[in-house]
Amino acid sequence: MHSLYSTANSVLSPASPYAQNIAHLFWVTFWISMVILVLVSAFVIFNLIRYRDRERSSELPPQTHGNTIVEITWTTIPFAILVVLFVLTVQSMEAVTPPKHPKTDPVNVDVVAHQWWWEFRYPGSKVVTANELHIPVGKPIDITLTSVDVIHDFWVPELGRKIDAVPAHPNQLVIEADKPGVYLGTCAEYCGAGHAWMRIRVYAQTPADYQTWLAGQAKPHPAPTSAAEAIGMGYFDGKCAECHNITGSGGSKGQDVGPDLTHFGTRDTLGAGVLANTPADLRTWLENPQAVKPGVHMPNLHLSTSQIDALVAYLEAK
Amino acid sequence: MTTANTTAAKPRTNKHIIGMLFFIGSEIFFFLTLLSSYAYLSGAFGNLPRSSLAVPRTLIFSLFLWASSLTIWIAERNFHRRRFGAYRGWMVITILLGLTFLTGQGIEYTELFRKGIALNYDVFSSAFFTLTGFHGLHVVTGLIMLSSLTGMSFAGKLGPENESAVVSLSYYWHFVDAVWIAVFCVAYLIFI
Amino acid sequence: MAQKSMGAAPEALSPHEHPFPPLNRGWGWLTWFSTTDHKKIGIMYMVTSLFFFGVGGIEALLIRIQLAAPNAKVLSPQEYDAIFTMHGTTMIFLVVMPIFIGLANYILPLMVGARDVAFPRLNALGYWVFLLGGIVIYLALFTGSLANAGWFSYAPLSESAFTSRPGLDYWAAGLIETGVGTIAAAVNLIVTVVRYRATGMTWRRLPLFVWMMVITSLLILFALTPLNAGLIMLLGDRILHMHFFRANASGGSAILWQHIFWFFGHPEVYIMALPAFGIMSEVVPVFSRKPIFGYTFVAGSGIAIGLLSFGVWVHHMFAVGLGVPMNAAFSATSMLIAVPTGVKIFNWSTTMFQGKLRLDTPLLFAAAMIIQFVIGGITGVMFAVAPIDWQLTDTYFVVAHFHYVLFGGSMFGLWAGIYYWYPKVTGRMMSERLGKWHFWLAVIGFNMTFFVQHILGVMGMARRVYTYPNLPGYGTLNLISTIGAFILGTAVVLFLWNIVWSFRKGKVAGDNPWDAWTLEWATTSPPPEHNFERLPPVRSARPLFDLAHPELADAHAAQPEGNA
Repeated sequence: MHSLYSTANSVLSPASPYAQNIAHLFWVTFWISMVILVLVSAFVIFNLIRYRDRERSSELPPQTHGNTIVEITWTTIPFAILVVLFVLTVQSMEAVTPPKHPKTDPVNVDVVAHQWWWEFRYPGSKVVTANELHIPVGKPIDITLTSVDVIHDFWVPELGRKIDAVPAHPNQLVIEADKPGVYLGTCAEYCGAGHAWMRIRVYAQTPADYQTWLAGQAKPHPAPTSAAEAIGMGYFDGKCAECHNITGSGGSKGQDVGPDLTHFGTRDTLGAGVLANTPADLRTWLENPQAVKPGVHMPNLHLSTSQIDALVAYLEAK
Repeated sequence: MTTANTTAAKPRTNKHIIGMLFFIGSEIFFFLTLLSSYAYLSGAFGNLPRSSLAVPRTLIFSLFLWASSLTIWIAERNFHRRRFGAYRGWMVITILLGLTFLTGQGIEYTELFRKGIALNYDVFSSAFFTLTGFHGLHVVTGLIMLSSLTGMSFAGKLGPENESAVVSLSYYWHFVDAVWIAVFCVAYLIFI
Repeated sequence: MAQKSMGAAPEALSPHEHPFPPLNRGWGWLTWFSTTDHKKIGIMYMVTSLFFFGVGGIEALLIRIQLAAPNAKVLSPQEYDAIFTMHGTTMIFLVVMPIFIGLANYILPLMVGARDVAFPRLNALGYWVFLLGGIVIYLALFTGSLANAGWFSYAPLSESAFTSRPGLDYWAAGLIETGVGTIAAAVNLIVTVVRYRATGMTWRRLPLFVWMMVITSLLILFALTPLNAGLIMLLGDRILHMHFFRANASGGSAILWQHIFWFFGHPEVYIMALPAFGIMSEVVPVFSRKPIFGYTFVAGSGIAIGLLSFGVWVHHMFAVGLGVPMNAAFSATSMLIAVPTGVKIFNWSTTMFQGKLRLDTPLLFAAAMIIQFVIGGITGVMFAVAPIDWQLTDTYFVVAHFHYVLFGGSMFGLWAGIYYWYPKVTGRMMSERLGKWHFWLAVIGFNMTFFVQHILGVMGMARRVYTYPNLPGYGTLNLISTIGAFILGTAVVLFLWNIVWSFRKGKVAGDNPWDAWTLEWATTSPPPEHNFERLPPVRSARPLFDLAHPELADAHAAQPEGNA
C-alpha cells in the first residue's frame, strides 16, 4: 500500500506544460509577495525594537498625523504591481484553458464523477474503466467532465488545474503529461462521506504502451479458466451485476451504478484508492466494504468465505 | 438623558425613520436575491409562465396596490396637518386597496393550484411562489402594521408624538409597492 | 502620567465593591434577561461567543487529532464531516461575528458619547434571537445528525437526496435566526452613530473603530439578507421539495446556490475583518503615543473595502467552470481589494514609527496581527490569480490562508481589543503576566498549526478530508499542525483563565489606565448606567488628548464644530 503513495503530487513539481505555466506564475507571485512580507515585517519589528519606551515617559513623540504623498505612493505602487500581475494572470488563463483549435489532436476522455469514484470513458474505443486513467504522453487530453450526483472536482496537480464536476453543467479540462509515470490526484470538492477516498491515478504511457493498454481494455473479461472463476462469474451475474458491469461475463449487461469491473484485475488500487488491488485486500473489501470506506454506496453483502474466494478469483483474472 | 447630544429630533430624520430606511435597504437586497434567482433560473421555465400566469388580471390588481401608495401619501399629509379624521379615512382606503391586491394574489395562486402547479411542481413554480409569496408576506406584515396604527388612531391613541411611526411605516408601504413593480416586471413582463 | 478626571465624574469604585454598578432595578440574574442596557447586552454577546469559542475550539482539536496520522480511525468520516461543518459554522456565526457585535455594543455608544444605542429594546431582541439561533443549530444533536455539508453547504450535497437527516434543516433555520439578530444589531449601531454622536463629533472626528463598525454594519445589512433568501430556498428544497438547487432535468441550479452564498460569503469575511481593523486603529496609536497615521486614508480604505467586497464573490467559484471572462473580471476586482487593505497595514506600521511604544499585551497582539495578516493577505492575492486558485483552491493552502486572516488577523486583533477594553468593562486590568504567556503560546501555536498547511496544500492535500494516505511528508506535517493546535489550545485556556482571574484579582484600573484619548475613557471603569456624568468638549478625534495637551490641539480641531 505504501508503494502506491510513495510519489509526491505537488503543484510545484509540474509534469505538464499547463502545470508548469501555473507553477511559474506561482513563483513570480510568491517572490513579489516575499518582498512585501519581508519589508513590512522588518519595519514592524524595527519599530518595536527601536522605538520601545521602557520608561513610559510622559514626553510625547512627534504627533505626526500623516503624509499624503506617502499615502499616494503606497497606494499606487501596489496597484501597479497588481496590474502587472493581472496581465500575467490573463495570459496564464488563456494558456491553461482548453484551446478551441489544439495544435495536436487531443485524446478525448469523458470523465463522470460519482459518489465516490471516477468513471472514465474513451469515446472512440468504447473502453470504460474507473479511477485509474491511462493517457499517452505528449498529447493534450481533452476531458469532458460531469457528475451524476453532487459536485466533485477533478484534480491531478502535476498535470494541470482542477475543475469542478457539476451536475447538469459539463466542463472541459485539458491535462497533458510530459513524460511517462504515475501521477496522483484526488477529488477536490467535498462530496460527502467518501470524499477522502475518491483518489485518482493517471498513468501516462508511451504512445505504444498506451495503445496496447487501450486494446487490452477493449477486449471482454477473460472467460473463466478454473472452477473458482466460473463460480465467481455465476455469483457476479446473479448479484453484483445489479450495480457493476463486466463485459464478457455470463449474463446480460450489468448496471452502471458502481464502477465497471471488466478489467478490474489490471488496476493497482480498489475503492478509488483506499486499498491496493491485491487478493488479500480485495478479500477485505468484499468482507465488509463499509468497514474499509464508511458510507460507500456498496452495502455489506455478508458474503461467505467461499463466495469471496470465487469472486476474488474471477475479478482478478487479467 | 444626560448625553450632551440633545439635538431635538426633526421628524424627517428622526431615528425611527433612519432605522426604517436602513432596514428597507437590507430588505431590498433580500428581494434582489429572489429576483435575480428568478432570472437566473428562467431558462428552465419553458412555456409555463406564459401558459399559466394571468398578466392582464394581475396588472389590474397591481393597480390597486400602487394606488394605495397614493392613498397612504394622502393619509400621511393629513396626519402632518393634524387632520386625524381624514388620516383615518385614507388609511382605511389604503388597507382595503392592499387587501384587494392580496385577493388578486389569492385568485392567481388558486388557479395555479387548480392547474396542478403546486409550490413544488417544478423550478418555475418554486421560483414564482417564493418570489411573489415573500412579497405577499411583506404586504401582510405591512397591512397588520397599518391596521395597528389606524386602530390606535380610532382609539384616540395616535397623536403628533407618533409622527415618526406614521412616516416610517409609510416608507415601508411605499417600499412594498416598489418591490411589486420589480416583481411584476420580472415575473409577468420580462420572463414570460 | 496623572490622569485628569473629567468634570464631575464620580469616584472610582473601591475594589471591594462589586465591579458592576448597582442599577435602579439591581443587577441580579433576572435583570440580565430583561435588560436593554447596551453594556449588559454587549457582555452577554461576548460571553456567549466565548462559550461557543470553546465549543468550536474543541471541534478543531478533534479535527486535528483525527488528522494527526495517516489512515487514522479516531473519527468516522460521517462524524468528522459533521465536526468540520460545525467548527466552521460555529466560529463564523457564533463566535467571530457576535463577539465583535458584542464589543461594539458595549464600546461604540461610549465612543460616540451616547447614553445607549438608538433602539435598546431592539438590541435586546437581537441578542436573544441570536442566542436562539445558535441553540437551534446545535439542537440538531438531539436528532443524531448535526449539519454535515460543510459551512457553505453546497448544493446538491445539501439537498435532501444526499443529506437526508434533519440536522441541516436545523442549521439553516438557526442561521436564519442568527441572521435576523445580527441585522437588528447592525441597524442599531448605524442609527446610533448617525443620530447620537456627541456635540462636536463630526464624521471626521469619529474613532476609527466606530467607522469600521458602521461599515461592518452596512455590510451586514446588505449581505445577511441574501443569505437568508438562500437559506429559505434551501429549506424550500429540503422540506417542501422545491427545485431551486436540484441540478437535474427539472432545471434547478447547483451553481445558483454558490452565487447566492458567496454574494453573502465574501462580505461576510470583511464583516469579520473590519472590526479587527478598527481595533487596530485604536490600539496601535494609543500604545505608540501618537495619532493614527493617515486617519482619512484609514477611514477611506475601510469604505473602499466595504464597497469592493460586494464585487469579488466569484473568486470563491473560480474552479466551477464559469469561463475566462467571468474569472478574469473577478480576478481583477479581487486583486483590487488588496490595495485598500494594504493601505491600512502600512498606516498602522507607520503609526508605530517614531512613536514611544509601550509593549503591553494589546500592542503585542496588534504587532503580531500585522505580520500574520500580511501573510494571509499575500496568499489571498495568490488566490486572486485565477490559475493559482485553479491549483490551490479546496486544498490546505486555502485552509491556511483563511486561518491566517481570520485567526492570525481578526482573532489576534480581537485579543488586542479585549486586553485594551477589559479594564473599561470590568474596572480591572487583565494580568500582564498571563497575557504575555497567552501571547507567546498563541504566536507559536497558531503559526505552527497553520504555516505547515500551506505546504500541505502545495503538496496536493485536499481540504475536508477525514483522513489521507501515507504520502511523503503528509504525516509529519499534519502531526506538526496537530501539536501546534494543542499549543494554541493551551494559549486559549490561559486567555479564558485570565478573563476569569482578572475579574476578581486584577489591578484596579481607574478611568483611563492606558492614558488613551477617546470618549469611553472619559468615564468610570465600569461606566455608570447612563454612561457619562459629563462629556468633555469634542474638537478632534482625540478629545482627551486635547484636554491633557491644550497646547498641541489636534489638526482636526480647525474643523467647524457641531456637525451632528
